[in-house]
Amino acid sequence: MTSITTDQDMEQTPGPNIVLPGDLLPPTASGLLEDGPTAPVIKLGPGLHPMDDDTITAVKAGVLKHSEIGNRWWVESNQRRYVAAAGESVIGVVVGKTVEHYKVDIGTAQPALLGVLAFEGATKRNKPNLNIGALLYCRISLANKDMEPELECMNPTTGKADGYGELKAGFVSKISLGLARRLLDPKSLVLRLLGQHISFEMATGMNGRVWIHSTSTKHTILICNAIKNSEYLDTQECATMVKNLVQKM
Amino acid sequence: MSRLDRTRTSAHQLRPFFSSQNLLNRADGSAQFDFGGSSVLCSVVGPAEVKIRQEKLDKATIEVIARPLVGLPGVADKARERSIQETLEPLILSSLHPRTLVQIVVQTMKDDGCILSTAFNATILALLDAGIPLQSILGSVTCMIDSETNEILLDPTTEELARSKSTHVFVFDNKTSIAGSANKDQAKDQDQDQDSLEGAILYSDSTGIFTENEYFECAHAGFKAAQAVHGFIRTAVQKKLEKEYQQTQA
Repeated sequence: MTSITTDQDMEQTPGPNIVLPGDLLPPTASGLLEDGPTAPVIKLGPGLHPMDDDTITAVKAGVLKHSEIGNRWWVESNQRRYVAAAGESVIGVVVGKTVEHYKVDIGTAQPALLGVLAFEGATKRNKPNLNIGALLYCRISLANKDMEPELECMNPTTGKADGYGELKAGFVSKISLGLARRLLDPKSLVLRLLGQHISFEMATGMNGRVWIHSTSTKHTILICNAIKNSEYLDTQECATMVKNLVQKM
Repeated sequence: MSRLDRTRTSAHQLRPFFSSQNLLNRADGSAQFDFGGSSVLCSVVGPAEVKIRQEKLDKATIEVIARPLVGLPGVADKARERSIQETLEPLILSSLHPRTLVQIVVQTMKDDGCILSTAFNATILALLDAGIPLQSILGSVTCMIDSETNEILLDPTTEELARSKSTHVFVFDNKTSIAGSANKDQAKDQDQDQDSLEGAILYSDSTGIFTENEYFECAHAGFKAAQAVHGFIRTAVQKKLEKEYQQTQA
């Protein structure tokens, strides 16, 4: 939670790369103004949208990011509702079952479809049988705004499971999408700190769900709390928080 | 000329702003916005599953529910719902999320005048928090013309509103203000201001008796004040992002 109060005569000092909806992509920096065959190709990521008047505008509030490789531009923003994007790993719950598909809730507006044969080595005769309520770690194979997202539980290039599949035991907790992305960073501070004290297994879905499995319930609760607490803390505070939690245990 | 509201010295002074984002745990986005003694809490859920009856095949359904301070919603609340919904519909890029629902609940927390403006500002902050794609942001201000002094008062309190000849609610987008700051070198005369205003007004609602000139004067005063609201929204978002990025910056 963030709160601010100010009088109306406050200083207006917008940061260099914080954008709000309606802000334009810097036209000269991105090469938008250049014309002809040598004009650079601009790749737009989430949060940016080409408008009817030939401008490129931010549509979400966040930090404008740029990568020289491929002249890519995107807005990094945090939200809680997941919108499916192809190739992302997510955690879902089976909510329905038909002959050809499982219906999986991954937090999007519509439940996603997972083909019954989209598992490693699955054939018509030999396929995994999942019950309603089963927890899955899967990959989004198709995401289109007009259709239900489609899932698969294997790596499409190798046909191997690659860690995807049913998650047994453990505990799932909901976090914000921004925090989920941060946890996927191998250098994630809170996970590194927790790992020094407790051993645990974890799966993070880009849809803001984390699955935690450890030797005891006590540890699972602690890990879960520490992760949730870490969102709005700086490095020092995060270290103290984890230390306190571990000591109390 | 002193105002009825003793805390303020000038007619164009707004009450202090306050905002707080991400207050509610279970909504996808939420925000509170205060204009002094007026306060509105807004929650946003979406893009979520939509009932077949409400479903639109090519865009998201936008539903606004306005809740009064006490009791059941009445005609005034229904009117507020419509105003907010019709202003937001072109602003939200609803074609990016077809066959979904964006539900916005606007709850009045404290009422000391200008509730509609407060609700607009709370709604935009909640939409930003929820990450709903928007064409631009908005800023809303109310002004009134005093029946005794004929003076334009910005952001009036309930006490001041009792003495109003006419009241005007304005909503402006932030696109025009950006264009304005880009051409800082060009001298801004009244005509240019008038032109830029036309594209910027997203919503305007006036009650009472007033002349055309008075209306434009109000619109200009409102436009200037809306810049302060836009600036405040930017600061609010910036503060929120700073909190989120503490670990990466260190």
